[in-house]
Amino acid sequence: MLALRGIEKSYPLAGGLLPVLKGIDLNIAQGEMVAIMGSSGSGKSTLLNVLGLLDGFDSGGYDLDGVDMAGLSEKQAARYRSQFLGFVFQSFNLISFKTALENVALPLFYQKVPRRERQKRAMEMLGKMGMDDRADHLPSELSGGQKQRVAIARALITSPRVILADEPTGALDSTTSSEVMEVLREVNASGITVIIVTHEADIAAQCDRTIRLHDGVIIEDGRSGEVVEPTARGARSQD
Amino acid sequence: MFNRETWIEIAHTVTANPLRTALTGLSVGLGIFILVVMQGLGFGLQNGVEQDFGDEARNTVWVRTGRTTLPYRGRQPNRYVQMRNEDEQRITEQVVDAPAWSGRRMMWGSTVGYKNEQGNYPIVGVEPDFDELELLPLMGGRWLHADDLAKESKVCVVGENLLDELFKEADPIGAYVTLNGITFRVVGHFSKNGRWGNSMVYVPLTTMQRVFNGSDEVDQMVLSTGELDLEGSSAMVEAVDGDLRMRHSVHPDDVRAVRVRDNQEEYAMFERVFTGIRLFIWVIGGFTLLAGAIGVANIMAIVVKERTVEIGVRKALGATSGSILSLIVIEAIALTLISGALGLIAGVATLNAVAPYAEHDYFADPEVNLRVTLTALAVLVVAGAISGFVPALRAVRIRPIEALRYE
Repeated sequence: MLALRGIEKSYPLAGGLLPVLKGIDLNIAQGEMVAIMGSSGSGKSTLLNVLGLLDGFDSGGYDLDGVDMAGLSEKQAARYRSQFLGFVFQSFNLISFKTALENVALPLFYQKVPRRERQKRAMEMLGKMGMDDRADHLPSELSGGQKQRVAIARALITSPRVILADEPTGALDSTTSSEVMEVLREVNASGITVIIVTHEADIAAQCDRTIRLHDGVIIEDGRSGEVVEPTARGARSQD
Repeated sequence: MFNRETWIEIAHTVTANPLRTALTGLSVGLGIFILVVMQGLGFGLQNGVEQDFGDEARNTVWVRTGRTTLPYRGRQPNRYVQMRNEDEQRITEQVVDAPAWSGRRMMWGSTVGYKNEQGNYPIVGVEPDFDELELLPLMGGRWLHADDLAKESKVCVVGENLLDELFKEADPIGAYVTLNGITFRVVGHFSKNGRWGNSMVYVPLTTMQRVFNGSDEVDQMVLSTGELDLEGSSAMVEAVDGDLRMRHSVHPDDVRAVRVRDNQEEYAMFERVFTGIRLFIWVIGGFTLLAGAIGVANIMAIVVKERTVEIGVRKALGATSGSILSLIVIEAIALTLISGALGLIAGVATLNAVAPYAEHDYFADPEVNLRVTLTALAVLVVAGAISGFVPALRAVRIRPIEALRYE
């Protein structure tokens, strides 16, 4: 589904270039649930952005569903994002003046789905998230967990092949976190690839596969709980 | 592009900060208000002057004389050039082919008496064509006939003011009045627009020459240019001017002694002046509007900055650059158009409210025509589009990743 070959990326800095990704090789198959772990500055968010076509890369290759993503125009990137990818953010990033229903329906708007159809599908999706009774609420009237459910519903509305979640539980307490992870596991169970960036070991533990990044390279990659020792390195690297 | 979603979003940004929106809108509204009011005043001024021109038919040439200022052919300056009947006869018969003409002679401040009332009015001696040349709408009775001139009849046609001041409601037709002590019969009365004219008492030129000073002097001459265009009337002016200068030995450069004025040319000059004024008003209004548009651009730039994260999220959700661009541009256009329309309405309302109190000799019927209105609206849409476009380009350049990282 996703294949990265020797991805390199640097950010321009005052003193020169800051290399963030130093040659990433990664294959993620359809239906996997992958956690990307690493400390701040390890490049995990950048990797997610590259995967999500939100950011370009300097060299290397990226195939999404067998299509080369190198040198994509802004417009093509927007189309692939719209067709293949769904995003879940740490800060939810719901649009404040739109109701839960309108937020969920927004990606369909960009796919030029008729309004009535958008509303219907958005309502169904909110129903699946157990949020249909909150459809007319503004984000400010929802709790953190509810906001993230709406955000996940928004990510799922276009039936994407891959969900990219950037610290989806970062702003939530532990009870709500496990609820959200439960939802993401259900999403994954329906066959959608889920990629979660996190620095929390117990979140990574709930995924099938964990990739650990350090200084822009993959240092560990394997089944969650086996390759990565959650309590040891994971906990230390946060501090 | 123009769907419900777009409008909901525009409504949101507009109402999110009502004071800011109102102030921005005010600058645009004020710009269009000033433009509209000034255009209206410009038209009012033009209407006033045109109405003043209404005194005289546009296709006339007025011939006047004065004292010489330059010596010529052995003659000293400061000699009064007096036109006489023979000049008028020669000019109309030999020099030019005017379809209508009239000599004119005026006695300012003459005493006019009716029964026990009396007052001072100018008495003007003219010929039968004169009412066509100066457009005197007859309100009752008749105008002077060729017969009156031939017989040197003591008849007169009086202006509206005399009806009010001397006759007091009484029917003036057939009444006898004394003009400087000599009895004349009133045969008609008239009422006209413009500043002058309604105090005039018109008598046959021949009668005036005979009764009041027994001479053959003519003070002014009015000639109709008929259907001639500006070129033709200019040629007529030149012919009359040349003839008088030759006959009365006036230096070709003496601008005071012989003055031949073409109304058509003068009117054309006024037209040019007013075109200039209108252009000037457009420039001022345009710049005022520009200031408003810059205000809108400024606000849109702030809106874009405020919504950086939102725009990034939208892009992550599949929004194309075009949809972001049109969102911002339409918002700017909507803002300028709505506030501009309010300014337009306020401007038209102001003109309508002020119009009844603004009647003056050189000012009448301030108005804004459809063309000005439509042009103003078109200018608004363009101003809105431009003021939205620059910030929108910035919004488009926002990369989703940078937006999401933005705090």
